[in-house]
Amino acid sequence: MKIKVTSIYVDDQEKALHFYTEVLGFTKKTDFSQGPYRWLTVASPEEPDGTELQLALNNNPAAKAYQQAIFQQSQPAAMFYTDDVQADYERMKARGAEFTMPPTDVTASKIAMVKDTCGNLIQVTQLMGW
Amino acid sequence: MDADEDKEKMTDREQYAPGPASGAQVRKDGEKWTLILVRDLRHPPAKVWQALTDPAHLSEWAPFDADRNLGTVGPLKLSTVGTPAPHVSESIVKRAEAPRLLEYSWGGNDLRWELEPLGSGVRLTLWHNIDRGFISWGAAGWHICFDVLDRLLAGEPIGRMVGATATKFGGWPRLRAEYAKQFDMETPNLPPDASKR
Repeated sequence: MKIKVTSIYVDDQEKALHFYTEVLGFTKKTDFSQGPYRWLTVASPEEPDGTELQLALNNNPAAKAYQQAIFQQSQPAAMFYTDDVQADYERMKARGAEFTMPPTDVTASKIAMVKDTCGNLIQVTQLMGW
Repeated sequence: MDADEDKEKMTDREQYAPGPASGAQVRKDGEKWTLILVRDLRHPPAKVWQALTDPAHLSEWAPFDADRNLGTVGPLKLSTVGTPAPHVSESIVKRAEAPRLLEYSWGGNDLRWELEPLGSGVRLTLWHNIDRGFISWGAAGWHICFDVLDRLLAGEPIGRMVGATATKFGGWPRLRAEYAKQFDMETPNLPPDASKR
């Protein structure tokens, strides 16, 4: 058993695809549809066969309430790891990303927080060691 | 059903191959894209109506399961079948005029079914407003569903073919490509490994 895919709810899958590929830098992995359902995933180009992130359309009232609540509490919906958070911050800002927290030193890591334009905060983490 | 009959049924299903793409067109109205599919069935309207509305019949051929009969207007839940994760869409039956007109939403999609008498059978027309990137998928998927429906109504069911069951078919890539070509449309391509899921 492996962790092959994890999901994030988005309010618009096209908008999400733009953010997660053009702005954040992932690549589209799978994209197919059945009626109103669209299975859409992205993966990191550093790990093309690694864990996929499913961009799931949020049309579920319970999930919407949860998503809005954790967004208002500044809780990230997902975290991604990088070797250089400052470089990613600058690269993504240049592509129009809106950060709610610039790269900031915290215990054992440096983190930044960015809006995914689809209802979520995403944390970008660089491990710094103890 | 004894073992021999069971074997025969499997053979019918295994031997099934969709015919060439036909009876489909695409209409663009502003930003709204509609797939229009026409299929002539040799079964009486009342029987076709039942297959379109009765959950027990839908589960034999349709790409979703319904939590109630679609023959009356009002809300219902449609569960997509065969997708990589379960998905329930809050939907609404807007018009149900047996046995000639049925309109309902399927999540964010709108479906309108019209049944016109054709001899002793029916000309079935489906309007489906669908994401433009997936129109050829929809056409190919409904094509297979209609074949399964036709055989079900003829009393020779071959079993529902939706989701991965439909797309893993030998005939699927050809059928989808034929519709894409007819519509002169680019469709999203799956990466090579996607078929292995």
